Amino acid sequence: MRMVVAYIRRVFKILRAEVLVLPSRVAVLVFIAAVLALPLVTQDYYILRIMILTSIFAILAASWDLLSGFTGQMNFGHALFFGVAAYVTALLNLRLGLPPYFSIPLGAMGAVLAGLIIGIPCLRLKGSYLALTTLAFPIILMGLVFAFPGITGGELGLSGLKKLTGSRVADYYVTNVLMLVLGGIMWKITDSNTGIILHAIREDEVAARAAGINTTRYKLLAFCLSGFFAGIAGGLYAHFMRLAGPSTLEVGLSFQVIIWSVFGGMVSIYGPIAGVFILNPFMEVLRIFLDNFPSLPEMRMFIFAALVLLTLRFMPEGLIPWLRDKVESECPRCKVRNVFFRRSCRICNAEMT
Amino acid sequence: MLVDILIDGLIKGSVYALLAIGFSLVLGVARIINIAHTALYMTSAYLIYVGTKIMGLPAILCMVTAIFLTILLGLLIYNFFIRPIQEHEAAMLISTIAVGMMLQEVFLMIFGGHYLGVEPLIGGYATIMGVRVTNQHLLALGLAIIVLVSVRFFLMKTRTGLAIRSTANDREVANLMGMNVTGVAFVTMAVSVGLASIAGAIVVPLVTVEPTMWMHPLIMMLAIVVLGGLGSIEGSFVGAYILGFAESLVVFLLPNGSFLKDAVALTIMILVLLVRPEGLFGVSFEEER
Amino acid sequence: MKSCKIIVVLMVGLALSWGLFLSTAAAKPIKIGILGPMSFTQGEGHWNGATMAAEEVNAAGGILVGKEKRKIELVKVDTNEFLSIPDATNAAEMAVRRHKVDFLMGGFRTEAVLVMQDIAMEAKKVFIGCGAAHPQLCTRVLDDYDTYKYWFRLTPINSSYLGKVDFILLGTVGHIIKTQLGVEKVKVAIVAEKAAWADPIVAAAQKVIPEKMGMEVAGVWRPSPVATDCSAELSAIQRAGAHIVFTTFSSSVGLTFAKQMGELKVPAAPVGINVESQKTGFWEATNGAGNYVLTINTYAPVAISDTTIPFVTEYRKRFGETPNYTAGTHDAIKLLQVAIEKAGSIDSDKVVAELEKIDYTGAAGRVVFDKSHDVTWGPQYVTSIGTQWQDGEIQCVWPYNWEGVTYEGSKPYQLPPWVVEYWKK
Repeated sequence: MRMVVAYIRRVFKILRAEVLVLPSRVAVLVFIAAVLALPLVTQDYYILRIMILTSIFAILAASWDLLSGFTGQMNFGHALFFGVAAYVTALLNLRLGLPPYFSIPLGAMGAVLAGLIIGIPCLRLKGSYLALTTLAFPIILMGLVFAFPGITGGELGLSGLKKLTGSRVADYYVTNVLMLVLGGIMWKITDSNTGIILHAIREDEVAARAAGINTTRYKLLAFCLSGFFAGIAGGLYAHFMRLAGPSTLEVGLSFQVIIWSVFGGMVSIYGPIAGVFILNPFMEVLRIFLDNFPSLPEMRMFIFAALVLLTLRFMPEGLIPWLRDKVESECPRCKVRNVFFRRSCRICNAEMT
Repeated sequence: MLVDILIDGLIKGSVYALLAIGFSLVLGVARIINIAHTALYMTSAYLIYVGTKIMGLPAILCMVTAIFLTILLGLLIYNFFIRPIQEHEAAMLISTIAVGMMLQEVFLMIFGGHYLGVEPLIGGYATIMGVRVTNQHLLALGLAIIVLVSVRFFLMKTRTGLAIRSTANDREVANLMGMNVTGVAFVTMAVSVGLASIAGAIVVPLVTVEPTMWMHPLIMMLAIVVLGGLGSIEGSFVGAYILGFAESLVVFLLPNGSFLKDAVALTIMILVLLVRPEGLFGVSFEEER
Repeated sequence: MKSCKIIVVLMVGLALSWGLFLSTAAAKPIKIGILGPMSFTQGEGHWNGATMAAEEVNAAGGILVGKEKRKIELVKVDTNEFLSIPDATNAAEMAVRRHKVDFLMGGFRTEAVLVMQDIAMEAKKVFIGCGAAHPQLCTRVLDDYDTYKYWFRLTPINSSYLGKVDFILLGTVGHIIKTQLGVEKVKVAIVAEKAAWADPIVAAAQKVIPEKMGMEVAGVWRPSPVATDCSAELSAIQRAGAHIVFTTFSSSVGLTFAKQMGELKVPAAPVGINVESQKTGFWEATNGAGNYVLTINTYAPVAISDTTIPFVTEYRKRFGETPNYTAGTHDAIKLLQVAIEKAGSIDSDKVVAELEKIDYTGAAGRVVFDKSHDVTWGPQYVTSIGTQWQDGEIQCVWPYNWEGVTYEGSKPYQLPPWVVEYWKK
């Protein structure tokens, strides 16, 4: 009993000393709590569906950030990982009857394999060359999907997969908890030694190599890791929609991923997640809102594009970093973040300017 | 069959070349991957459609107006949404995607997803060595060559061309030498958009006008530019013909797999890059820091 | 005595309020969700057909459910399915859960319809498909009746029937070429978009054309459904010396192909499925180069049944175009009315039972659903029709003395003059 009390006390202490002092950390906490509590408030199938898809895409966007944001390997064809995993998951489920908790990780391994296959030729390429080459892979794969309709179902895709779980609420918890956990893992990766090396490669590959780092190996690792997380998203999508079709490989999806991530703020993991959680439900809010004006033409995508354009015009770093800089500032001496209204740093007491 | 492949590939290549040259120019000089390039091409197409079919104006007048309006639009977009965030590569890229999507949605709102057609400048067809080719295709072939020659002349023989080339070579040094880098970027953007809208005027009668018509040329164009070497105009030209020939080869040799033409073209691009990571005519830049 | 009065008053009050409740319940309209890509021709067809039917039914007082007449309220559900599948499913879920529609109809892109079907089935809503032709949508009913019994397909006929009509059209044109031009061995170029629904048709064509129809296959070409250039294919077809181009197109490639073929005056007659050429805008989009294209179709101003001509004329007057198969929502609503009135309820299971027994003659012909809830094809049932572009007009050219069926108002088939000129000896 005493142990428990002491433990709770410690949690509270950490909460007060480390979390509640910074608005961004509070925001993360509130976000996690809100995500976990949503089904207690509403069990509306429609809202839950939106949030399930949002969390799946959030995993996808974060995985893009892991590769393109942190390592600087601009990937224009992220849909490849998503699509490969969706198809592999679907095949494993339909042909071998594997349940979702086996088929999704194995599907993600398929995406890792895809990451290796495209990673190796792409290692030699840099910058825009890399970006434009990666764009080609999903399109080539799309050609193969149509070439072997016996396996892939052609334009119909593979349908009739097992449901992710029995109920919508359970689906919600599976996808959203996975989103939180995987997001946390990705964030941890970027904070680890490996993450720092990846960061170094982005900033200056030659220097990283000069420091004795096998940049090739780390770049390949980034491709595989990113592929794995994107693959989990693809597998979840296939099981939730009960379909893996050519739309999972479309150029539009690849673009969408980049838009979400850059809108939210690259090189942060939480930025892309926030980007998806803002933009995806926003599209549905727009749908409900515009429903009241049936005479207007379909203009949701227009508003979406305009919003993205204007946001980036004034916040080119992305929305979340911009917001964060507004409410927090960095101590000039010890580089610890402080809430904006503090006069002195909370750690070293240096004066904030 | 060889004749068929040659002629068909030549025609296809010239259409692609028209599109790729402008894109390549702005990429080389201003370092902008302008995803909206083909969306501007689509804009010019729709403007010509409105002029000829809805307002019933003569075709040439419509084309000239459309080209000017498109250039204006391109410059406005450049000035207000691209230039201010030039330092942020990713944001700039997304902005061009967003511009492309906005144009697509605007046309979808106004015209719906209907398939529209624009009358060719010259109708009918010619028979060359037993292969039928529409006159409009021949016009595209001729124009691609004229455009290439004049762009080359412009770059090599005029002062502005020199300015563009030197900016492309080293932006900072050009700036230090007292050149108006911003002005050069504007001129380049205008030329690039102009080329896109000229391509629109020439190519549009050959294709279907619809709001997603910019997607396919975009992908082919990106492939060509990468294949030829980023920023190299000759590279784009050669790349366009390589992919054009590759496509018609696929159709003739593998009729059952003609849907694979895009995939094959892109595979060729990747294979070339495996051997030469900087593309066919690309210059291997010193690592940019 | 007083207490007696109170009881009477209470009773009357109760009865009144109950009656009031019933009458408000009766006034509640029947909600029908129309699913379609509303910015595109297909979605417009869904919506236009449905509005016309709903207005007609409402003008007559509505649908008789038990003893009450209930009006129809349409809910426009923009699925945006060409551009985004998640969007389509979100829209469908919203219609079911938020708008609480009682019935669903429409849908076009098969990949999207498969998912929307699941959503409708989970909510146990009757979903009448008007747009996707793939058999799999209906074989699901056979495989898992209890889950999928709420699905029915009205238009178009499924792709294996489409194949049958296809070969009848091919045979007809082949015969005309043989007799009119004196060609002994008619050569057929098979051109089909690379799509799973077209594969069985291509496989059958390669077998049936040489073996049963006495014609020769000049080659098989499979362009991408969204190809924007077919000049290489056309040039190869010409080299192969084909008399007929047997087309199977449902996507934009059909327009590109027909346009370039007409511009180059390729000496071969286009026959088969070309969904683009069913649209009125086809003529404009091809600048008239799509003349003489023959395709399977659903509606034309011919007397398929008594209601066809009034429907098509009214539709053209209101929307300025000939309806194509997505406007089958019109028949779908009329059909649903019959089923609901017979069932006396809008309860999904009861309506399904009635729909299974239905025998209704609509604008597209006589509708009877088979075991897989698919519309039955054949003479005396829905036959579908063959239409040809003849100088800017869509004309019905088939059935023309087929199994004793000729619809009033049909015209004979015309060969393109350049084909006649090129091959005539």
